[in-house]
Amino acid sequence: MKTKPEISEGNDYLNWLTREKDIADQIINNSRSMITIINRNYIYEKVNSTFCNAHQVVIDTILGKSMGDVWGQDTFQNIIKQNVDSCFAGKTVQYEASFYTPKSGTRHFEVVFRPLSVEPGKVTHLLAETFDIDDLKTSKQAVIKKEEELRKFESNLPIGFIRCETSGKILHANVAFLRIAECNDETSVKDMNLRNFYLEEALFDLQVRQLGDEHTRNFGRVSLKNRSGKEIPCRISGFLAVDGYGAASYIDFAVEDCSREIMLENRLIQAQKLETIGSLAGGIAHDFNNILATISGYSEMLQDDLPKNSELSEKVTKIQGAVKKAQSITNQILTFSRHVEQEKVLINVSEVLKETFGFVKSSIPANITLRSRIPKMNANVLADPTQLFRVFLNLMTNAIQAMEEEGGTLTVNIEIVGREMVKHALNKDIIADEYVMLTFRDTGEGMEPSVIGRIFEPFFTTREVGQGTGLGLSVIHGIISEMEGEILVSSKKSEGSEFLVYLPVSRSYAPRAEKRSNRKKILFITGNKYESRILSLGLESAGYELIFISDGSSFVKVMSNNNDRPDLIIYMNDSKQINPEDLAALFSSQKIITPCIFITDPELEISDEKFLNSGINIQQLTKPLSLKEIRNAIQDLLR
Amino acid sequence: MPGVLLVEDDKELREMLKVSLKRRNYLVMEAENGKDAISHFKPLITDLVVTDLIMPEEDGLKVVIKLRELKPSLKIIAMSGGGKVGPGSYLNLAKALGADAIFSKPFSLSELVKKIEQLLDNEQLI
Repeated sequence: MKTKPEISEGNDYLNWLTREKDIADQIINNSRSMITIINRNYIYEKVNSTFCNAHQVVIDTILGKSMGDVWGQDTFQNIIKQNVDSCFAGKTVQYEASFYTPKSGTRHFEVVFRPLSVEPGKVTHLLAETFDIDDLKTSKQAVIKKEEELRKFESNLPIGFIRCETSGKILHANVAFLRIAECNDETSVKDMNLRNFYLEEALFDLQVRQLGDEHTRNFGRVSLKNRSGKEIPCRISGFLAVDGYGAASYIDFAVEDCSREIMLENRLIQAQKLETIGSLAGGIAHDFNNILATISGYSEMLQDDLPKNSELSEKVTKIQGAVKKAQSITNQILTFSRHVEQEKVLINVSEVLKETFGFVKSSIPANITLRSRIPKMNANVLADPTQLFRVFLNLMTNAIQAMEEEGGTLTVNIEIVGREMVKHALNKDIIADEYVMLTFRDTGEGMEPSVIGRIFEPFFTTREVGQGTGLGLSVIHGIISEMEGEILVSSKKSEGSEFLVYLPVSRSYAPRAEKRSNRKKILFITGNKYESRILSLGLESAGYELIFISDGSSFVKVMSNNNDRPDLIIYMNDSKQINPEDLAALFSSQKIITPCIFITDPELEISDEKFLNSGINIQQLTKPLSLKEIRNAIQDLLR
Repeated sequence: MPGVLLVEDDKELREMLKVSLKRRNYLVMEAENGKDAISHFKPLITDLVVTDLIMPEEDGLKVVIKLRELKPSLKIIAMSGGGKVGPGSYLNLAKALGADAIFSKPFSLSELVKKIEQLLDNEQLI
């Protein structure tokens, strides 16, 4: 640049000044930003060509005009003036705004007002620079958006993601991992060591070494433990990142909780195992029944040949008793293996549950609390109520036995749940839109996982030898499977067990009851209102009319009313007020010839000698009964 | 002398039933499977059939259908130690196909005999 001449040098000085001004003007005009210079009266003293081009105006329409004239008084007063004034007060003002220019439309700008001074110690002008930052802004926003998306993706991902140093020190963990580890937020795991979440810490070091060789690797299932020490089975894969020099810089781990997968796998294995045992046991039971039929037939023939009450005859009676016991076992096995057909009627599960609950309540030990929620509801399923009773009774009895020593609470609930929920819980194709879900929860001794996996297997028992056959839960499993239902169990040692029973709700309608006058009347003599009510649920829906009595005087009253005489009598050998002898006496005194069904416990069979010569048609059934047996007997007797 | 055909693959059980029925003066014939029962069926001297349902060769359901066809007035008792086809039990199926009575094994011999007498009594009344 030419050195500045002295003012006294006259023309040289003026030439120099003109040249300097030209250079300054050109710098201003060639700037990519819009530049204006405004004096204290808000008048434009300089405007560059970028400004004029952007606004598509000729420079003279701006120069010498006030800001109010150029932008309109309103915009000037309300938006611009305060910024301009604070610049005149000596501050650099900077702000972002989007506005319209005819050249580029509406875009984003950064505006900077800088104070200028041409007189010493005084702000005389301001320099307004406006930069187009639209492209910058857009790309910045795109980056932010992308980052946001990635973060969302990472936190929504149901797979845990952790970045850590090769030492295991955690640098970052996503929400899914925090959930698996049972940690509240990222800060609580940061700086912790991932190794501490491994059930076997040495395994972590091994994995890091393996990653050193291969950089990326799927480790398959590995057991982690969460903050409370609970084991979580996970599927883990890792990726080792290296820096420019090939040294390990960090490791990314993907961790997937596979507890549910393992649970479902186990359930499938269990179901297949039960199916196999079932068909095997069913076949054996079938052959066994043939053998039992032979033994029992010869015993009966022997019994006929031997003098009554002789020593030999008593021995034969014992053989017959053993056959009965064996028969009860084969029957249970056949029920478990679904070889027994159930007579199904439309029945409200909540009513059966309520009766069973009442039955259990009447004999519950004092140290056990019963809690139940059995609301009135239409929980209709196709079932044999006596079998349902067997299921509920067995589950409640088991629960009570589990709490016998320490005491506790048995909770029984019933509710109706929708298709999707059941589908999730059972993880298989389901047949109904709604299911009845029954819960039986105890606070008893609970079970080890190894026991839980086997409880439905026949003859599996944790009780001492001789204390039950180990068939109870197998039978229940068979009954529920036969109803297209499902039973699930969960348990924790010393915390208690929970059994969930799912039964498909039936949409079929109950057949219209026959006219009252056409219905056959059955007189029920019983001391156990709960059990007989369950039988009656099944029989009423099969179209019979039932009358219940529990004592002799009611019996006489019913039988002496000629219009209301029953077509059939069912006597349950649990009636405290009428024993079999009383009944025989009542029959002969009232000259009764009504056909009769005796329902007895296996050990308490009624000797029918007393009734033998009465000419009454009698059938004897032993518990546990099915609706099918009792209906067959009724049909047989009323034929 | 009423004739009873026993169809049962379990030899001991068949023997037991034979002994018991012979004592009661029935003419007892035997077959060890369904195929035998059908091919050796003697309609003129057989009044009642007691048949097992699950047997090798032709099963008992076939016996019920075929013998009923050969002699419509024949009385048929089906017995089984369990077993299901589809949703229904063999026994119920046998009943639906025309068996007059059904027995689950093991059964009470006296009840079976009572049923045989009852079915043949009715026969004589007609």
